Order: sequence, then C-alpha cells, then structure tokens
Amino acid sequence: MDIGIAALLIVLLIAVLASGFWIGLSLLGVAVVAMQAWTSRPVGDSMVFTIWGSTSSWTLTALPLFLWMGEILFRSRLTADLFNGLAPWLNRVPGRLLHANVIGCGIFAAVSGSSAATCATIGKITLPELKQRGYPDDIAMGSLAGAGTFGLLIPPSIIMIVYAVATDVSIARLFVAGVVPGLLLMGIFSAYLVIWALRHPGQVPAADAEMDLAGKLRALRHLGPVVALIALVIGAIYSGLATATESAALGVAGSLLLSRLEGSLSWATFKDGLGAACRVYCMIGLILAGAAFLTLAMGFIGLPREVAAFIGSLRLGPFALLMLLMVFFIVLGCFLDGISMVVLTMAVLLPTVQAAGIDLVWFGVFVVLVVEMAQITPPVGFNLFVLQGLTGRELPYLARCALPFFGLLVLAVLMIYLFPQTVLWLPGLM
Amino acid sequence: MGSTLARFYGALMAGSGVALVAAFAAVVAGMLDRWFGLGLRGLDAYAGYAIAAALFLALPGTLQRGEHIRVTLVLQRVPAAARRALEAWCLAAGVALSAALAWFACRLVWVSWQTHDVSPASDATPLWLPQLAMALGCVGLAVAMADAAWSRLHGLDFEQPAGTAAAHVE
Repeated sequence: MDIGIAALLIVLLIAVLASGFWIGLSLLGVAVVAMQAWTSRPVGDSMVFTIWGSTSSWTLTALPLFLWMGEILFRSRLTADLFNGLAPWLNRVPGRLLHANVIGCGIFAAVSGSSAATCATIGKITLPELKQRGYPDDIAMGSLAGAGTFGLLIPPSIIMIVYAVATDVSIARLFVAGVVPGLLLMGIFSAYLVIWALRHPGQVPAADAEMDLAGKLRALRHLGPVVALIALVIGAIYSGLATATESAALGVAGSLLLSRLEGSLSWATFKDGLGAACRVYCMIGLILAGAAFLTLAMGFIGLPREVAAFIGSLRLGPFALLMLLMVFFIVLGCFLDGISMVVLTMAVLLPTVQAAGIDLVWFGVFVVLVVEMAQITPPVGFNLFVLQGLTGRELPYLARCALPFFGLLVLAVLMIYLFPQTVLWLPGLM
Repeated sequence: MGSTLARFYGALMAGSGVALVAAFAAVVAGMLDRWFGLGLRGLDAYAGYAIAAALFLALPGTLQRGEHIRVTLVLQRVPAAARRALEAWCLAAGVALSAALAWFACRLVWVSWQTHDVSPASDATPLWLPQLAMALGCVGLAVAMADAAWSRLHGLDFEQPAGTAAAHVE
C-alpha cells in the first residue's frame, strides 16, 4: 500500500470525527470504507465477528466493574468524610486547605478509576468550603483541575485498563507501576502549593482554631472506610490474591457495603449508579469495538507497518521519540478524549515504541501522564468541562488557572524519564 | 409511539443493568471457586458474555441520553444552516451504519446457530445464545437512530439528557 491511501484514510477519519459523528461509530464507519475499498474480505461478517471477540473478553470485565464502583462512591458521602478527616491536619502547612484538593483527589483516585469523577466529587466538597473561607478562586480551581487527573494515574485506573487491553500488558503490573509516580505527582503538586503560599502570604486565609490532638485523631476516624477500601482493592492485586478483574469486583462489593453502612445506599441510588455505569461503559465500549475493527482493517491494508516504518525511518533516539509522541498526544488531546486517543494510536505506535527499546509498562505510565495533560488543555479537556459545570466559569479562565499544573505534569514526565525506576521498581517486586 | 419506543429502550437498559450485575456475580463466583474449590466451570466466559450484553443492550438508552461522545467543536462554531446540514448527515450516516451493524449482528447469531458454533473455552456454550444479546442491542440502536432521525424531521426532541450529573469516565 502507498502513503496516499494512508493519508486519505487519516483525512477521512478526521473529517468524520470533526463533523460531529459519534466517535465509536466514526471508527467503525471508516474501517468499513477502508475494508470495502482496499480488501476483498467480507466486510460485514468480519465487522461483527471482531466486535464480538473484542467485547466479550474476560480481561475487559474489569472496566465496567471499576466504572460501577466509581458511580457507587460518587453517590455516597465518602468525599465529605474525606474533607472532614483531613482539614484539621492541614492548619500548619503553608497553603493550608488548598492541599485538601491534592490529598483528597489522591485518596479518592485510589478508589476511583476516572479523573472527571475524582475532579467532580472532590470539587463538589472542597470548592464551596475553600470559597467560603476566602481562598482565591484561581489557585483553588487550578489545583483541583490538576489534582483531579490523579484518577488516571493512581490505580485503579480506567485508562490503564484500556491501555493494557490494547497492548497486552498485565493490568495488575500497570496498576502497581502507577503507584510511585502518583505519589511523586502529589508531592510535586503539594510542593508547588507550598511555594505559592509562601510567595503570596496575603492570599491564604487565617487558620482555623487549632484542635487538640485527640480531636485531630477523632477526625481521622472519618478516613477509615476509604482507607479500608483502598487497602482491599490494591492489596488484593498486589498480594496476588485476586486478578485486576477480581479486585474490581471486590471494589464493587466493598463500596456497596460502605454506602450501605453509612446509609446512602437505597434502591433508587443503586439503580441510578448501575444505570450510569452501564451507559458510561456502553459509550467506551462502542469506541473500543470501533477501534478493534479499525485496527483489523488497518492491519489488512498495512497502515501500522507504514507508519511505524515512517517513524522508524526518522531514526530518533528514545528521548526524541518520546518528546515527539508527547507533542503528538497533546495535540491529539485537543480534540479527542484520553481513551479514544489510546485505542486509536496504540496499534500503530506499539511496534515503533518496542523497537526503540522502551518498556511497555513504563510507556503506559508515560501515556497516562500525557493524557493527564490533555485533560486540562482546551478545547477538549474533560476536567475543564467538569469544572465549568461546577463553577460556571468560562473555559479560557479555567485553562489559565490550570496552566501551572500542566507545567508540573511536564516536569513529572521528565522525572520518570530520568529516573525510570520510579515506575519500574514496584512492579519489579511482584 | 414515542412512549412505546422509550419503554423499549428502557427495557433494554434494564437488561443491561441486570447483565452488569450478572458479570459481577460471575467474577465473584469465580473468585470463591478458586479460593474454596467449588468446581464451577466456565465462569470467565460467562463474565465476558455478560459484559458484552451490558454494552450492547445499553446502546439505545445511551444514545437517547446523549451520552455517546462526539466532537462538538465544529458543530458549535458553524452557522446554524451548516449545523443543521451536519446534524442531518450524522443522523443519516448513523441510521445506515447502525442498520448494517444490526443486520450483520443478526446474521452472526443465525450463522452460529446453523453451524452449531460452540465456545472454545471450558463453558462450551452454544455461541448464538450470548450473541443474541448483541443482536438485540444493535437492532435497538438502529431503531433508536431511525427514531432520532424521524424526531429531527418532525421537530421533536429525541434526546432526554440526564437530570443529575453522572460521574464521567475520564
């Protein structure tokens, strides 16, 4: 096949996506056109056969279950408890309650797989509190937008499951690999807030009345249930007691039990959460199905080979290749959501990445970090959309608030490049 | 007619929810089986069938809630006439593609039934059974697409956005 066909297909795909056609169906439609035009295979039969094969797999089962778990927690009082448990401990730290965004998002991310869910749930609690206490809007919203992206990196993570399914990497290893970079990123964000607070001492409101130690310890009790859930999900994976899919089921069971105990689980909220989980899974699943068939069609006409050969012919070193991919993903992230980005590009990029000698688990964490950046860059940035919904502010304002945190994410990418052990050490122990 | 179709989408949506709970149950049963040696067979495959059913049965309901994502960047920025044209194209192409998908999904069920195709895993399920859910969901999507196009032609609202914010995926 020649480059002309490849270019034509890419232009066609971009045009169809831009016309507002549903993303999953766009992938499916372009694949149908490509198969029809350039192969002699029976298009319809291979389409449904590929779709059936890719959507009825055991590995994929982790995805809807983690989505469901997130929806259950989203409807519980868990986040309010988080804030109450954390607040008394932050009085002495420069930046005070601003860190509630970072720590709250970090903890919530460890039980939820999604950055928008993290951003929305934590934001609903912290933003009104911070505003009422007089913290400036821009840093409160910016830090929330940035910290919300922890949902992607700290396991369990929906996008990691998608990456693992697309690249045949172990979900459990990838989850474990995300732990240290996630903590690193929390550290970087908190350090930035400390520096910001020291440089703008006038803008941080006065501390609350100091609680005695007994009071602080009593407040900690609020964190108990969440910590138990995290320990259950991550501990089950890490100890080898359960696979990633099974730990998702444990997470569902645990979050049902938690919301039952705290009294927020009713038949109505159960139905509501289940329905929302089904719809979100349906949306992602349709994209995955479309991408599976597009991958097959591209394979038949040889596009991945061509693109990999093209990138290979540039003879880039690993660093230049990664920087190129980072820019590529950030640009792509202006138009697509993270999951579509991963499923669309992985089949094509994987051979090149492997040829450059890059570890696929490490590359998964790299991709997740870059997708995190895409979450807070306009015009398509899911966290910005969530914040817009929460605060009613304009997108450009929110993007400006989030800009420093974009820079911090770039810094994190450089750090995991310079110190790959931050990613690879923990899975190496498994 | 509108309410009959809405009930149809609602029934499929309920089926999707039941399928997700079934997938959860299959995974839990598999775990108990491994820990306590209950001698259950083929649970992995059942979980896979169940999530496939959950996905496909939710297709029309998700479309109706407007939760299938699309790139709206261009749609929001072009003049009204161009936007109407783009939306007409989307609905027309959506009807055609979902109809083809429904047709071939039904054909897959028929072929599996005719050839007595059986799952290669230890469950040995006749494959037309779980594939039936996929066919049903795809037919539902085709009906919903046609419904959406019809509603647009007659100036009715097809989408029923969710009242409460759902936790999104990203």
